[in-house]
Amino acid sequence: MDIWKPQNIEPDTCLRAQIGPLLFWFKQAKDELHIATERLSETDEHIEAIPPKVVGAVEPKGLDWNRWIVKKLRSIRLIPAMPDRAVVVRTEIPVKIPTGLEAIFFVGIPVWVKVIAGDSEKFDLYEQPIVIRSNTWFGDPISGELCYSLTTRARREILEAEIEPHRCICPVKICNASPTTLEVDKLCIHVEHLKIFEGTKQLWANEVKITYKGEDLAGEIKLRKLIGLILLLLRILLPA
Amino acid sequence: MLVRKGIFYSGSIFVVLAILYQLGCKLTALLGAAGIAGIAIGFASQTSVSNIISGLFLISEKPFAVGELIKVGDTMGTVLSIDLLSVKLRTFDNQLVRIPNETLIKNQVNNITRFPIRRLDIELGVAYKEDITKVRNVLSDIAANNPYCLDEPEPLIVFKNFGDSALEFLFAIWCVKTDFLKLRNTIMQKIKERFDAEGIEIPFPHRTLYTGSVTSPFPVTVVDEDNKDRKDN
Repeated sequence: MDIWKPQNIEPDTCLRAQIGPLLFWFKQAKDELHIATERLSETDEHIEAIPPKVVGAVEPKGLDWNRWIVKKLRSIRLIPAMPDRAVVVRTEIPVKIPTGLEAIFFVGIPVWVKVIAGDSEKFDLYEQPIVIRSNTWFGDPISGELCYSLTTRARREILEAEIEPHRCICPVKICNASPTTLEVDKLCIHVEHLKIFEGTKQLWANEVKITYKGEDLAGEIKLRKLIGLILLLLRILLPA
Repeated sequence: MLVRKGIFYSGSIFVVLAILYQLGCKLTALLGAAGIAGIAIGFASQTSVSNIISGLFLISEKPFAVGELIKVGDTMGTVLSIDLLSVKLRTFDNQLVRIPNETLIKNQVNNITRFPIRRLDIELGVAYKEDITKVRNVLSDIAANNPYCLDEPEPLIVFKNFGDSALEFLFAIWCVKTDFLKLRNTIMQKIKERFDAEGIEIPFPHRTLYTGSVTSPFPVTVVDEDNKDRKDN
């Protein structure tokens, strides 16, 4: 995906990039880098990812520009990053997992974008969510944590319609090792421990395996490494 | 410093007593007077001792901590310090309020920011002619679109009462405690704007007078300056 590759930037030229509903504008002037963002309506179709392209020499007006002092640079890069908080996602419909069985769910996590400038010496400038998600509370009103609420659902299969360049698919495997049936209604995923892998048209996160051992025992959460993810993807993509 | 002062004063008293003894003064009378003085001081310091003991209970019970927002009676403020005799609060208009510990033990104390999330309760009324389902949908939409309102716990819309002048609703939404004021400001304004846009009336309290029959006109008697009675229909 070209959007995540380094892009050249020449002095006094204005670049425009788009990922999902978020537009980026860049301009290098002497030892400054000017960056502005613009949000399109989320209800419109915005599944494209357009890498930074030169659109002129003049900064467009009416935008809120941020300026950074940087050394003269030749390239900038956009890279995906996980949100800064856990995400809560509901299953498509509540699912019951009997004792001893397991189920895989696929969660589309909207990623943030990080702007990195520089050639030999790289500067992390800032991060921004591509899609603004609402806040939710996971837990009871006395204790719990603040999370992002996803509008998409945790599904048992990947839908073509939900493959978007700014969404990272995270496989979540839930194993019921308890003596009772486990009903899964919503999941809270701590994305700060996940890594992002780039596919040909899709971003992936490593698999999260949750083992539920019962109400009185602590569950187990494991994150698969890259090899495990490749094996899982082969299992999903290749016909049985 | 407290220990040093204690040693200094008790040492000074001892030295004075020793000098008086050497000069031949009878100390029994002095000791008797000191005993009476002790009883008097004990009665006078009742309140202080009560405050000190109340302070110890506050420290062990921990109903609030430094930095939390509490309300005692009509006073609301952030706790600056919990001291031996009193608790100091800073009010929103930057005043220092000193509340004796005894007052805090005896009265109700509301700790507003102990828990991480808070619920904002809004009482509102709509005209009797309005569609209740439509009102619920509009309120739900307002909550869903407010960035400070949490998706869960879910907003609560309760049809409370058939009021004298309006259908009364309770609209309760949750937020993180630090966003409470922002939520209050934004959502109140949005409710008014949306209700105006949707044509939902928020009625004033009103009374309708009937003469005993809905269709009969209300009789009015007008008395002019010359005290002539005229009857007008």
